[in-house]
Amino acid sequence: MKGADVISQLNDVLDGDELIVSSNGNVSRQTYHLLPGSQIYLRGSMGLPVSVGLGLALAHPEKTVIVLTGDGNFLMGLSSMVTVSYLSPPNLKIIILDNQLYATTGGQETTSSKINYKTMIEGMRITNVRSFDFRDLDHNLEELFLESLRYEGLDVLHLQVEEDTLELDNIPLHPEQITKNFQNR
Amino acid sequence: MIDTFELIDYLKDKGFSLSAGVPCSYFKDLINMLEKDSEISYIPATREDEAVGIASGYYFGGKQGFLIMQNSGLATIGDALTSLAQLYKIPLLIFVSYRGLEPDADFPEHLIMGDVTKNVLDSYKIPYWLFEEEKWKDILSESIERMNETSLPVCLLVKKGVLSE
Repeated sequence: MKGADVISQLNDVLDGDELIVSSNGNVSRQTYHLLPGSQIYLRGSMGLPVSVGLGLALAHPEKTVIVLTGDGNFLMGLSSMVTVSYLSPPNLKIIILDNQLYATTGGQETTSSKINYKTMIEGMRITNVRSFDFRDLDHNLEELFLESLRYEGLDVLHLQVEEDTLELDNIPLHPEQITKNFQNR
Repeated sequence: MIDTFELIDYLKDKGFSLSAGVPCSYFKDLINMLEKDSEISYIPATREDEAVGIASGYYFGGKQGFLIMQNSGLATIGDALTSLAQLYKIPLLIFVSYRGLEPDADFPEHLIMGDVTKNVLDSYKIPYWLFEEEKWKDILSESIERMNETSLPVCLLVKKGVLSE
């Protein structure tokens, strides 16, 4: 299973009211092309999707906020997870798509393979953390996603995936337009 | 010194409901007071760029926050400013302590950044004001007005003794 397959399957469980923040590069492209609605597609600011998601979750406690992040992005902003734990907004759901690569820049290795994500994040006193290895495996993710979305608390889902082969066009929106579209949705 | 109570009240009136940042001793009183405030929460970020991310997400959600950091943080937030806040048109009010001036003569760790602080802000194309006790409301009002007009970050440089002893 690849990262794009995960994002495609996420589409099946969303009710359209969720607010999504995606990390720059392939993940934002996939989120733009494969998921509905006007979302926050980060085009730069590597390392900050979790922080942007945290701010958004605090502004809209009545809405579910989903952060979709690659492993390189997640690791760059790792300490932001401690701030997330400190505040623990119950409406924040973080999905880490871990292909152990900086895929957008040509597939250079990240250091992600050294990490036990579940142990690490639980060590930050975040209790609802699930981690699965879906490399070389097709899996119906509906139950996993629904559990995250229905859980009334901060939730982290770490999925090990294969490198994407999907070629997607650049996002055809200037970031100013992304902001306007999101705020007018 | 500027009365911290009055400052926080003024910021509330201007619509701010969140603050985030990394402390400087120059902001000791302000942060202590924000930690106890029920209307403006203070988020202790682990890094200054994280604080920019949080305030940006908060603005995407239609609400306004402000940031607190030392000028050393201006070096850390370069990418968060240029590829998030400025790129996505996020209005941010940033209180920056102006370290590395005369009171820091014995603190060489601040001197180089102190020397280039205004150049850094000029390079980022961030409008800035010296936040001084005299006419502080006028300075604050003008900077917030600019922030809202442009929907971009603006900065207030705060010297020692303006907000804390």
